[in-house]
Amino acid sequence: MSDEVKDPKDVLICRCEEVTLREIEQAIDEGFDTVNDVKRITRAGMGLCQGRSCSKVIARIIAQRTGKNIEELLQNSYRYPVRPEKFKIFDEEESHE
Amino acid sequence: MGMSTAYYLTLQGKRVLILEAGIFGAGASGACDDMILFQSKKPGINLELAFESLELYHALNVDLKHDLGFENYGGMVLIKDQKELEIMEEFVQQQRMYGLDVVMLDEKEMRKRQPHISSRFIASTYSPMDAQIDPFHVMYGFFHVAKNLGLEYRKKTPVVGIEKQGNGDFRITTQSGEVFEATQVVNAAGTWAGEIAAMVGENVPITPKRGQIIITEKIPMVGETNLWSAEYLVSKLRPEVKTEISEEHKALGLGFAFTRSFGGNYLIGSTREYAGFDTRTTMEGVNAIVKQAVSYIPLLKDIHFIRAIAGLRPSTPDGKMILGEHPDVPGFYTASGHEGDGISLAPITGKLLSDMMCGAPSDSRLEELSPVRFAVVKGEQVQ
Repeated sequence: MSDEVKDPKDVLICRCEEVTLREIEQAIDEGFDTVNDVKRITRAGMGLCQGRSCSKVIARIIAQRTGKNIEELLQNSYRYPVRPEKFKIFDEEESHE
Repeated sequence: MGMSTAYYLTLQGKRVLILEAGIFGAGASGACDDMILFQSKKPGINLELAFESLELYHALNVDLKHDLGFENYGGMVLIKDQKELEIMEEFVQQQRMYGLDVVMLDEKEMRKRQPHISSRFIASTYSPMDAQIDPFHVMYGFFHVAKNLGLEYRKKTPVVGIEKQGNGDFRITTQSGEVFEATQVVNAAGTWAGEIAAMVGENVPITPKRGQIIITEKIPMVGETNLWSAEYLVSKLRPEVKTEISEEHKALGLGFAFTRSFGGNYLIGSTREYAGFDTRTTMEGVNAIVKQAVSYIPLLKDIHFIRAIAGLRPSTPDGKMILGEHPDVPGFYTASGHEGDGISLAPITGKLLSDMMCGAPSDSRLEELSPVRFAVVKGEQVQ
């Protein structure tokens, strides 16, 4: 396979924004050691899925690298919209009233 | 403001420690859109400094050796009736006299640049100067270089006390009980700057104005430029002119801003609400922004928005930032109150402040920004 990742550090952790393990580890080593910090530096979690899949993986990478407790790193707050919504959603809501 | 000031101070050889109450970009930097917007500014010190800031950004884009996400799409302000047209024509004329490259476009020229906007718009302005930059990359660029020059950065370290000692130095206490000493202190706490100033008995009157913004999925370019509405600008320039803005939208301070971000998502805003220090988004706010966006650009109805964010603009009573040393507390400086112009003005603010702190000759233009204008006469009650 020509697409095979040669260096495991090149593996994509955030697929929406195409952020590699290397970039995430670099951010952590610079002191950006929460999921939110890593997002701000690398864009991991800013894409279409809004970190729904990668944020747990990133929390685990941070925990392994810094010795922090994984429970503290997992995000526990969600805000609207919890998934992508079409702009016309509000018009549809009204036409059903 | 803190990161920019720290950068310019370390360049001048100062030892700098940042005590950040939250995390990186936790305040307005992490919740703003990304505009270096000229057209919204009244001729005067803010517009003048915005020009200088843009020059600094051009230099920083090279000096920081980091991609700051600078883009220069230009901007148009959409006009929907004759009354708005007259007021905007006059405003554009004033801005041109002040050196801003901005023109009026008739409907045909407007639609050539923006084919997808609603049929109700009759004309627009156009400035090729309106630009944008990614706030996180700007902060990171400053941070990275400053760190190599000796910057120390502590996050989640709220300051709880500042005391001026007999020898003139400051003693700063953090929430965890750590104590630091410094000869100079910069209050760059943004919307929370009033709280920090109060620790040394000074008055920095900042009122938070909440802004909510929605973020779209990545989509191709919609027209050639970023967009704003004249409606909100006109209501600010001429509060006496009757507009058709509904009471609900007035309470939300709804204005239209449509900018393409570094990554291909659009940021669409925004509100200007007085909601105290509450940084949450609201269904009411998001709903109003979404509906307005579809009414301005109908093809958005089938696009997804993926996130809503909110942040607090630090506003001052006279609409100008607070920048400089507090004469009653020598060595204590404030840089706050930029309201919606934080990203535009961050480099120039940091540069001017670091020059002041390093003893450069004073710049007489900056007198009108001095915190002295809000100083409370001794014995009077701080409002």
